Amino acid sequence: MKRIEVKLSLAVVAPLLDVIKSVSKSLDNTIAAAVDFERVDADLRNEWRDELVAAQNGEVQRLLALFDSEFFASGVVNFDESNADAILRACAAVRLQLKGQFLSALADEALESGKVEMEAMPDDERRYFMCYLFLATVQELVIEHLEPSVS
Amino acid sequence: MTIDEAQTTTAPVIDSLEETALVGPWKVVVMNDPVNLMSYVVLVLRKVFGFNEPRARKHMLEVHEDGRSVVWCGLREQAEHFAFTLHQWHLSAVLEQNETD
Repeated sequence: MKRIEVKLSLAVVAPLLDVIKSVSKSLDNTIAAAVDFERVDADLRNEWRDELVAAQNGEVQRLLALFDSEFFASGVVNFDESNADAILRACAAVRLQLKGQFLSALADEALESGKVEMEAMPDDERRYFMCYLFLATVQELVIEHLEPSVS
Repeated sequence: MTIDEAQTTTAPVIDSLEETALVGPWKVVVMNDPVNLMSYVVLVLRKVFGFNEPRARKHMLEVHEDGRSVVWCGLREQAEHFAFTLHQWHLSAVLEQNETD
């Protein structure tokens, strides 16, 4: 099984984890992505929503579980083929929630182009944006190393 | 067409064969969002639909530039399955009735 170990700077990442945990908590029982349930068959709507929420909750828990006591001792997180999909999806969910709830002041075009001036941001917003970038980096690492045939 | 030209024109044949799958009463449409990475969208399209790299990239660019891309057409039940799977990957996807069929 393919596996990567990533050594992270505790000084940089630890402060972001509290933010990621609180953003993850804010996701409880809501779906991060925009889902137009009006277009879903009425008979399926509740089941559809419940299954998405349950899957999302489980995947976000797997992401948070990467940063356990072992991580705080070594600074190392492990990704492998068994957790890659869940981690990718959890990162996507938390990033969508960050954008929707905490970075809504940033223009879509700025986010897509990466032309964001961090120096001009208020401290809180900068922390959220750092989390947003950190989770994107995690996704890029997983895609590059664990999904080489599709990167 | 010269021999040299013939050697460089094989890919569109594969593309056109794959495009013939985009018919059927229901469309699965992926909508743009400013958050998900391009590489992530390509990966999801490859995993969910089994697209090859060029085709997944083509749809991803269509989503990015036009705001939407029809990625699959067919019967409602399977379209719902694909839309649900895309939602699990946190892509914004909708079902639309194909009015040309």
